[in-house]
Amino acid sequence: MNVLEINSVSKRFGNLVAVRDVSLTVATGELCAVIGPNGAGKTTFFNLISGFFLPTSGTIIFDGKDITRLATHERVTRGMARTFQITEIFPELTVFENVRIAAEVAGGYRLRPWIARAEMARIHKQVEVTLSLVSLEAKTDRLVGELAHGDQRAAEIAMALALKPHLLLLDEPTAGMGDQETYQITQLIRRLHRDSKYSIVLIEHDMRVVFHLADRICVLDQGRMLAQGTPQEIAANEAVQAAYLGISHDSSTQG
Amino acid sequence: MKDRLTRNWIVLAGIWTVLLLAPYWMAPLGGYTALATRVLVLGLAAMSLNFLLGFTGVLSFGHAAWFGLGAYGAGLTLKYLALSTPLAVIVGMLLGGLCGAVLGALLVRRRGVYFAMVTIAFGQVFYYIAFQWSSLTGGDDGLRGFSRQPIDLGLFKLDISSNAYSFYYFVLFCFAVVVGAMGFILRSPFGRTMIAIRENERRSRFLGIPVERHIWIAFTLSCFFMASAGALYALVNNFADPRGLHYSQSGDFVMMAVMGGMRSFWGPLLGAAVFVVLQDYLSSITVNWMSFVGLLFVLVVLFFPRGLLGFLQRSKA
Amino acid sequence: MTLLLLFNITNGLIVGAFYVLMALGLSLILNLSNVINFAHGGFLVIGGYIAYTITPYVGFWGALLLAPPLTAIIGLVVERVLIRPLYGRDPLYSLLLTFGLAFIIEDGTRFIWGPQGKPVTIPPFLSAPLSNELFFVTGYRLFMVAVVIVAVALLFVLLRYTRLGIRIRAGTLDLETVAALGINVQMLRSLNFAVGIFLAGLSGVLAAGQLGLEPTMGTGLLMPSFIAIIVGGIGSLLGTLIGGLLIGVTSGITAVFFPAASEAVIYVLMAVILLTRPRGLFGEEGMMS
Repeated sequence: MNVLEINSVSKRFGNLVAVRDVSLTVATGELCAVIGPNGAGKTTFFNLISGFFLPTSGTIIFDGKDITRLATHERVTRGMARTFQITEIFPELTVFENVRIAAEVAGGYRLRPWIARAEMARIHKQVEVTLSLVSLEAKTDRLVGELAHGDQRAAEIAMALALKPHLLLLDEPTAGMGDQETYQITQLIRRLHRDSKYSIVLIEHDMRVVFHLADRICVLDQGRMLAQGTPQEIAANEAVQAAYLGISHDSSTQG
Repeated sequence: MKDRLTRNWIVLAGIWTVLLLAPYWMAPLGGYTALATRVLVLGLAAMSLNFLLGFTGVLSFGHAAWFGLGAYGAGLTLKYLALSTPLAVIVGMLLGGLCGAVLGALLVRRRGVYFAMVTIAFGQVFYYIAFQWSSLTGGDDGLRGFSRQPIDLGLFKLDISSNAYSFYYFVLFCFAVVVGAMGFILRSPFGRTMIAIRENERRSRFLGIPVERHIWIAFTLSCFFMASAGALYALVNNFADPRGLHYSQSGDFVMMAVMGGMRSFWGPLLGAAVFVVLQDYLSSITVNWMSFVGLLFVLVVLFFPRGLLGFLQRSKA
Repeated sequence: MTLLLLFNITNGLIVGAFYVLMALGLSLILNLSNVINFAHGGFLVIGGYIAYTITPYVGFWGALLLAPPLTAIIGLVVERVLIRPLYGRDPLYSLLLTFGLAFIIEDGTRFIWGPQGKPVTIPPFLSAPLSNELFFVTGYRLFMVAVVIVAVALLFVLLRYTRLGIRIRAGTLDLETVAALGINVQMLRSLNFAVGIFLAGLSGVLAAGQLGLEPTMGTGLLMPSFIAIIVGGIGSLLGTLIGGLLIGVTSGITAVFFPAASEAVIYVLMAVILLTRPRGLFGEEGMMS
């Protein structure tokens, strides 16, 4: 079963066509990486999937249901969770409180003026489990705004996980990170994919991360889908090399 | 964690002790019970506004409208409907709250300065109506001809009309009920979504929170709370003033919340106390008290934006 | 009947023109700096009082020419000292600041010039009506409209053709990019503020001639300016222009049929706009282009 089917989706802003006729299918349990040069439309593409904008044309099917016209929060309720290139968290709340809100909303408690002690305990347990999954259990009472960049990203991922998503959308999870933090986040994503069997779509610039994690790679260039395939296929694809890999920092490649 | 809980209980007990004994410790300090009552009511108003401003992060600069509606609701009830103080308070609260609910639905899509502008403008509509519809509201002179009635509790009568102490405790009781509801809601899952929206609206949306709907609910709740404060205020002087609806009154409430500390629950009450005392004092010593109040606004904004409690919290850390 | 209607529409246009002048200044400051200048009415009052003070020395025309720039200079100082520190912060703070400032200005003018209204003399040829038929069109009112037209035209020229104007328009659309281009955003905001205050000061001089001068005259004009902006659409100067005229005329027409409601109708208009087209008539679109 496919968790996500994107059919010929386009987005124009006035005269600017940011995304042109892009189609993508993500099977359940698959990790698909979206790559491409700057300005290729990757973030706009993500924004279309997550409901930040509505597409100018095309459809998006999630878990077999058409969600093309749904608002963001409705897509989230149906099981789509997203992280951002610039981490979006609640800076003046603790790690625990950040993830708790996610768990409460996902648990259907968001409108409740009151929560029973037993339910509260269950939510607490869930939060603790999620935090140990991302290795933040030692920092539960720290303010998220004060954490290191890598930990903030892990906290954001924990919030996404607390939503019990069917699909994780990770927007440049290693952006702005040094080697050590990149390694940690990459390992985390790998665990989520291999062990916990999450379906994941991620945008990445760091090719090491992409080739390490992806089942499939899609390449966007100037709003169009340039190529799709396994990492091996993409690495060998000349058009991709020309458009993207050829201008990368890998100077040993003679293009 | 346990430490913080016990500390919170102690602070809470302290606050309530101060409030319960106010008529007794005020006199030696040169205060008087009616002043305490006034501070309590205005503090409630400031806290109601802060429910929206400090805890949801929504800037409503026209909130005095609900305060005024509550006042007129109470006054009109006593004047034309029934000689019952509790009914007056309830009607006032309902009037302000329901109008707020309707208007809120129109406004929730807007944010930031646009929202502020529209709330100011709408607040002025109500001010204008109160001013013009003089046959009902008494116009510029305000609504008079009503007074708070003694409350018959079966076992005994609470003479709140002539006994300042009784009235104070009646107001304190109403205060406790409303503030209790406020605190209760803020501690609930819903209350946490409010804080989430304040902290990061985009993230809240991406957690599945229907932000506009939650803002509308918070807005409506704060209007009900605000209107109850207004209703009580009408009872303080047996008078409802159209100026209570003017945006300058809204500005005063915002200032009280900011001065006391927007991020703290009790801050606005403290801010109201300081503001009321200061304003009373200034207007008694100089005819130019208005410029001093204005100066206060400027100084607080530039140098004490976190307010008194915010300032204290920071120096503790 | 038609004469009465004509009278009120003309009156409405004249009043509307005046609202336009006020609202444009307010709008400029709002659009670029995200600040609701509650003290705008106060600057109007300052303009009027400065004109009053210097008229004995430079005459009416001198006051008309000098009072607005002098007011603008005061505005510059205020912006630099009080408002600039607040730009990065929550818009709440600049709101509160201009709010307090309005109090200070009102009381300050009362302190300096006294609470009584001050008479303002205008050149006699302006106060005579144009003709007996059109008795309502006094020279001064036409003059006011003429000044407003000139001011708006000059503003248009400023925004369209000068470097400052282009930067202001760009900054209103995307301040970050403007800053990234190396343009001094601080100075841009200051100058923009000064232009807005210039317009307020000019309104003050004109208002003084028409309404007389007293410390509280500014506040009554603030709300219609707000509504003009909301009706016309926040972010659009053209909208503010149309909004101001529209509320003036609507108020004028209503005065014929429901005199008591002529003030209230502008609020009704605002409510209708918010219900049917929340972004205003020209909201979120470009500048006077």
